[in-house]
Amino acid sequence: MTRTNNPLARLVMYAVLALFTVYNVLPFCWTILNSLKLPKDANSRQPRFLFSPTGDNYAELWLNISPAEFAPYGLALVLILFALVVIALSARRIPAPNSLVYLGVIAAGVAVALALPRLINTAEFYDYLINSVIVTIGTLAVSLSIGALAGYGLARFRHVVSVYILVLALAFRSLPSLALVLPFYYLGQLSGLYDTHILLIFCLVAVNQPFTIWMLRSFFMEIPREIEEAAMIDGAGRLRSFISVIVPIMWPGIITTGLFTLLLAYNDFLLARILTQINWTLPVGIAQWTGGEDPGHITLAAAASVSTTLPILFVIIFFQKYLIRGLASGAVKG
Amino acid sequence: MNRTTFSFFVGPSVFIMLALMTLPLLASIVLGLHFITFRNLDAPQWIGLQNYQEVLADPEFWDSLEFTLLFIAITVPLRIVLGLLFALLLDQITRFRGVFIAAALVPFVMTPVVGTLIFRDMFDRGGPYWYWMQQLFDYRLFMNSTTVPLLIIFHSIWTATPFAMIVLFAGLQTLPQESLEAARVDGASWSQQLWHVALPHLRSLFVFIALISIMDAYRVFDSVFVLTQQNPIFDAETIMYYNFQVAMSFGRLGKANAMSVLTVIGIFVVLVPFLVMTYREQTEEG
Repeated sequence: MTRTNNPLARLVMYAVLALFTVYNVLPFCWTILNSLKLPKDANSRQPRFLFSPTGDNYAELWLNISPAEFAPYGLALVLILFALVVIALSARRIPAPNSLVYLGVIAAGVAVALALPRLINTAEFYDYLINSVIVTIGTLAVSLSIGALAGYGLARFRHVVSVYILVLALAFRSLPSLALVLPFYYLGQLSGLYDTHILLIFCLVAVNQPFTIWMLRSFFMEIPREIEEAAMIDGAGRLRSFISVIVPIMWPGIITTGLFTLLLAYNDFLLARILTQINWTLPVGIAQWTGGEDPGHITLAAAASVSTTLPILFVIIFFQKYLIRGLASGAVKG
Repeated sequence: MNRTTFSFFVGPSVFIMLALMTLPLLASIVLGLHFITFRNLDAPQWIGLQNYQEVLADPEFWDSLEFTLLFIAITVPLRIVLGLLFALLLDQITRFRGVFIAAALVPFVMTPVVGTLIFRDMFDRGGPYWYWMQQLFDYRLFMNSTTVPLLIIFHSIWTATPFAMIVLFAGLQTLPQESLEAARVDGASWSQQLWHVALPHLRSLFVFIALISIMDAYRVFDSVFVLTQQNPIFDAETIMYYNFQVAMSFGRLGKANAMSVLTVIGIFVVLVPFLVMTYREQTEEG
């Protein structure tokens, strides 16, 4: 839409957005401060903005060894990660196919992540992170692929059957999470898949599927039919025209949906709590410090929350670029 | 699109939902017709609709329903209006977009298990908001039956506005450029472009956000649990919170399941206008 050129109006806009931003991030900033405090500073009657920061909470969270022992490994880890990032960023200049370079970097990263607990004595929290990453990526992959197909089908098949499916999905989604507890636990025991990633992934997919198909459907509804009809006249089938024409146009919508699916899966507490016994995910691991009266738990929970949130923030900031670029190019085409 | 292609596209998704979600839905219906506590889990006693009678005659149920509906009536429009406002602002600016978007998502990204707790601590004694209100306005915030419901509302706005904002912002980027161009040539002002081109185009996204927001607001639980610290004096019980109490504190699992079924029905009643809109959208020839 038309952008205003009035400098005063622009100033007001930035000011409003800045205020909104402060309201949004302040609690997280406070969590970061708390995570660097000693319990006595975090539990004081006056809020303390100045204190001598400590890394103890993070060390206790991640390591079973002393930080001094970890230092050389930590340095090596930082160097390896830095090298991987540099390789990934300069992929274009390496005389090999880009996709091969990215795959290699990802494989190396996975290898490092899996080898780490064998080299140094990491605490359980590290295992929770690995579990969370597996479950989140699994959920994202299954949920988006079947959800995109269904969302597209629903947007294009104008028939009462589509309404039935959408309403049924709503009925499933409106079920209180409390009602899921017993049946899912029972399903887990019955199938013998209790405490496995695969069961958690499929339950998360099922619970989030109504959201995913409703959201993707509303994005697909905005695409004019003529676009894929043109492709189909050229002889492409439904599936091919979907993959080669619709998905590229709609990937802002798919990325947006993916972002929310990722957050739902990554932050889910209840299902992970019911369906796991030792293979905890991060939110379940954190919950052990959020109740109770132990004053040391506040700082530990804060450190755990910051450790859990930061990776996702990096993912968002990384995809940000693609999100906005995708959105912009989608607008030009659309 | 014909029937076969349609079932091919929709099949996997419908299968996985039916396979995993039918059992919980049926279980709620069946268990809701029984008298079950933690003591007779293996031998539930059939009592027909007695649980439903009990729920409907329960003044606490009606109190919690009233607060839940009030909560929906306040927060859902606020979320959508604020989400649209910030999406439009983001659409207007060019610089720092990424920063604003990432920052807006922080409350949504923050692990809810801790996020709610931190949010309360900010307003509680020893938290920064509490401290600033006291220093700047000489106002001492007490947790009482006015402030706690307000905090629950603030919390919901804090966590849920980013969702509406991002979805609408993404929608704004897919506006049909030809219509906008035509409107511009005809000399349409920004507000006319908004009213006649953008808002109609975003219709199905508004419906979607409203659906999701109403459902989530109807089922709000975590923030109530943490912010009231399970203390009844704050008068801020929602349906889900009361449902939890019936199940966990009173051990009446059958009654809780009857409430779950009533919740599904209640959400559907609230959603009727949106369902009608979706029905029209789906059956109209396009």
